[in-house]
Amino acid sequence: MAPSRRTKRVVASQPGFLNLKSSSGAAGLPSIRRKRVNKNKKKNWNKHSDINDVTEFLEDVRHQERTIGGLLSEKSDDNLFFLDVGQPKKAEQKVAEPVDGKKRKGKAVRPLRIDLILQHDSLVPPPKDVLAYQQPNAKKLRRIAQKAEQLAAKGVVPRRQKQLLNRRPADRTAKKAVTEANNNPDREYYDIWGQECESKDTADPWYLQQTGKKRVKRPEKLNEKPSVLPAVEVIAPGGSYNPDFFSHQALLQEAHEVEVKKQKEEDKIERQLAVNKEHIATEETILREQVEGLVEEETEEANEEEEGVAVGAITVAEKKTERQRKKERAYKVKEQLRQANRYQNDKRQQLFQLRSIKTSIKQEEQETKDKQKQRKAKQEAQKAQPRRLGKLKFKAQDMEVQLSDELAGSLRQLKPEGSVLKDRFKSLQKRNLIEPRERAKFKRRLKLKYVEKRAFREIT
Amino acid sequence: MGGLQKKKYERGSATNYITRNKARKKLQLSLPDFRRLCILKGIYPHEPKHKKKVNKGSTAPRTFYLLKDIRFLLHEPIVGKFREYKVFVRKLKKAYGKTEWSSVERLKENKPAYKLDHIIKERYPSFIDALRDIDDALCMCFLFSTFARTGKCHVQTIQLCRRLTVEWMNYVIASRALKKVFISIKGIYYQAEVMGQLITWLVPYQFSHDHPTDVDYRVMATFTEFYTTLLGFINFRLYHSLNLIYPPKLDVKAESELKEENDDDYAMNSESYLEKLSALSASLARVVSTAEEEEAELDQFPVEGEDMANMEAREKEQKQEEAQKKLFEGLKFFLNREVPRESLAFLIRCFGGEVSWDKSVCIGSTYEVTDETITHQIVDRPNIDKQYINRYYIQPQWVYDCVNAKIILPVEDYFLGVTLPPHLSPFVEEKDGDYVPPEKLKIMALQRGEKPAHEQEEEEEEDEEEEEEDDNEEEGDDSEEAEEKNLKKMEEQRSQGKSLSVKVTAGKVKVENPARLEQEEKAEEKRLAIMMMKKKEKYLYDKIMFGKKRKVREANKLAAKRKAHDDAEKSKKKARK
Repeated sequence: MAPSRRTKRVVASQPGFLNLKSSSGAAGLPSIRRKRVNKNKKKNWNKHSDINDVTEFLEDVRHQERTIGGLLSEKSDDNLFFLDVGQPKKAEQKVAEPVDGKKRKGKAVRPLRIDLILQHDSLVPPPKDVLAYQQPNAKKLRRIAQKAEQLAAKGVVPRRQKQLLNRRPADRTAKKAVTEANNNPDREYYDIWGQECESKDTADPWYLQQTGKKRVKRPEKLNEKPSVLPAVEVIAPGGSYNPDFFSHQALLQEAHEVEVKKQKEEDKIERQLAVNKEHIATEETILREQVEGLVEEETEEANEEEEGVAVGAITVAEKKTERQRKKERAYKVKEQLRQANRYQNDKRQQLFQLRSIKTSIKQEEQETKDKQKQRKAKQEAQKAQPRRLGKLKFKAQDMEVQLSDELAGSLRQLKPEGSVLKDRFKSLQKRNLIEPRERAKFKRRLKLKYVEKRAFREIT
Repeated sequence: MGGLQKKKYERGSATNYITRNKARKKLQLSLPDFRRLCILKGIYPHEPKHKKKVNKGSTAPRTFYLLKDIRFLLHEPIVGKFREYKVFVRKLKKAYGKTEWSSVERLKENKPAYKLDHIIKERYPSFIDALRDIDDALCMCFLFSTFARTGKCHVQTIQLCRRLTVEWMNYVIASRALKKVFISIKGIYYQAEVMGQLITWLVPYQFSHDHPTDVDYRVMATFTEFYTTLLGFINFRLYHSLNLIYPPKLDVKAESELKEENDDDYAMNSESYLEKLSALSASLARVVSTAEEEEAELDQFPVEGEDMANMEAREKEQKQEEAQKKLFEGLKFFLNREVPRESLAFLIRCFGGEVSWDKSVCIGSTYEVTDETITHQIVDRPNIDKQYINRYYIQPQWVYDCVNAKIILPVEDYFLGVTLPPHLSPFVEEKDGDYVPPEKLKIMALQRGEKPAHEQEEEEEEDEEEEEEDDNEEEGDDSEEAEEKNLKKMEEQRSQGKSLSVKVTAGKVKVENPARLEQEEKAEEKRLAIMMMKKKEKYLYDKIMFGKKRKVREANKLAAKRKAHDDAEKSKKKARK
């Protein structure tokens, strides 16, 4: 029990130590009896030494620190005591008066009990987490930072930064330009036929070719226009808004001819489709049709007779006699001889006809030449014509014409004729740039079925 | 006699062609995509000579392409883009169907797009090639720019077309390249000479569209897509050739003038600059300031084999052209609100005039009606209340006719309420012997510098009978009478079948003799030459001459008809009076 006694002594020796729980020490002392135990073993130290008084003391110290914030004995008197002068009366009255008004407020302000329990009520400050303030490799880092500062002061850029600086900025704008739509109204243009573009294209032909990036050269033939017609055909002078009398008449005449031609074609078709007059049933034919098979006619008998004659005619062929054959053969030989003679004679005679032969040859040549010329002229004319490029033939649009009474007196009253859009479209077709087409027809997938509504059916 | 049997349709023309459907399958494209590709690349269908052979014995009408063309198409990078787009649409549809809006947005952000720049370069290897093919592009852009913004095509396309056309018009103004203009019932035809190329384009009237149903808008939109790209590049080049800034900027001076007005009334902020440009009333900013651009007289080097007379003629022509470019210089126009503003402003500015309009009509007006220095006011109504005494009130046709005649025409025929002379087409070029309408003859006479009054005197000398007749008529309208006499004279000359130049020089004794001698000599030479002709050539010559004479006869007939027509009109008028 030496240590306990020692501590007691320590406590007792400390001047002015105040024990909070004063009863504990005095009551325990006489009851303890000494036990003899060997203390040469460490195990026995722990087992048989009484450290209660020390723990109590330390407990007490901690308790004081927790509740007061330091040892009680070290506190000055001002902190521990105050002069009790009784409660100030006026203050009480003042407090009493606003009680009704502030009751609620006070209630609201007072914290909940649970919060009070959970509140940290120890006056000992929580220990600092040292690790939180520590930095691994702090020294090294500080040294590096210092060195960097020194270098920066000298104007030396570190390698890594240099690399970053040297890297080209990301080509954001270029990427955007690629995705820009073609019809963007603010799009930019550049000199496409200038020098700069050419130099860009001819980077390294071998490289381009090997990597498959080389553009295929456009064949020259593709740059030929499929028609010789001009892009914009100016309307005839009669198409002026205030035309000269004669040119207007000429234009009208032209338009009239076009109309007449159309009319003629229509008439022709109508004529061809019309029912032949002979095919229209008359009263007689109707009657005959009605009595068909009812009246027996004698024509059948006559037919039979004729048939008999025809059958007989087939069996007429008779065998030739020997003499006949001989005669025929002789005749044949004679004929051949005659032909050969004639041929030779003709040849001989041609000597004397040289002149006429020459002229005839010349004539023939001339004819072929003429035909060639004609064909060529036709081909030339064909170039200006719209070709047949698909299912449909090109149909010229209606001529724009204003009749004499439609003509406007002034520019203000002018009524435009035709549509420029259609004119352009037809011009493209006429120049064989696109094939004439019809608008795709709407096809109904499911058949429509008409049903009378019941309400409607009831009425009818 | 041995050898393998030749199979049909494995050689010759059958192997040179491919049908449209096969081509489409070869390229793995849908029909609309295939069509678009062909238009963009400038590959057109071809009509074979022997259809039956090409069609492998069938006579069904089909569209054929040359196989080599299609093989060429296989290399086009755009084909890949088309396929990508197809996939994009499919994905987008799926995302919509599943209502996955985030993926819809992501897909839309990465929408595949393609560029046509390389195709332009490929199809038009040089700038001149492109310029030759610009007619179509201009027509299409002008057409699309007049469309209403209602779903027939993308609004963006319309805006782009408008921008490009405005740029083009500004270029034509800056370079003073316009040559001819013709108001037809369809639209207005313009012709300009740019770098030696004659360029014709057609501008539709505003607000005149009823959209025809039988036009394939998709095809037209594809063409427009290509042409806008082309026109943009051409514009860029043209602007740089004139030292102008591209995209065009208004001159600083002009801009400050325009700024005073309240811009917000006319257009949104984003569009107001384009609107100001399209007003055409201000000049454009140049890279180099205009002060330096004093045109230096070019030195002339005579080309070998060209005599002096020829060169002189050319010089004279050049001078005339210069004069024509400055036709309206010094004149100040004011446009009333009922006249077509854009067309007239374009014309007047093309020939150096100043132009303005009412502030409420359009942005960019530079002066008011009350400006005292205005010389011409263009009006298209029968009468006007308040008239200033120091300016002419004329109808719009005067401007157009002046441009075509290349001179400032007398304004009397174009006053308010006057029946206008016919607007003749400048695109008709008469050969000698063709019928020329009297109005044109009159203009030609004016161009030569003759004055109607002068001719009147000559006529008096020539024949008195006519004059007497004229005297009987009322002498109320001077100009009309002059015109009448002029016409008669022309017709008479025509009926006599002599050239005009002889008559004009007849008065002067000194000049006449050498000229006459020379002419006689020439005639003699010609006669001899005719005599020396071979029989065959003679026959041809006679034929040609006969044709010419017949033409002249026909023209005479028309002239007589015209005269009769005019007389009838006149008598009718008289009867009315």
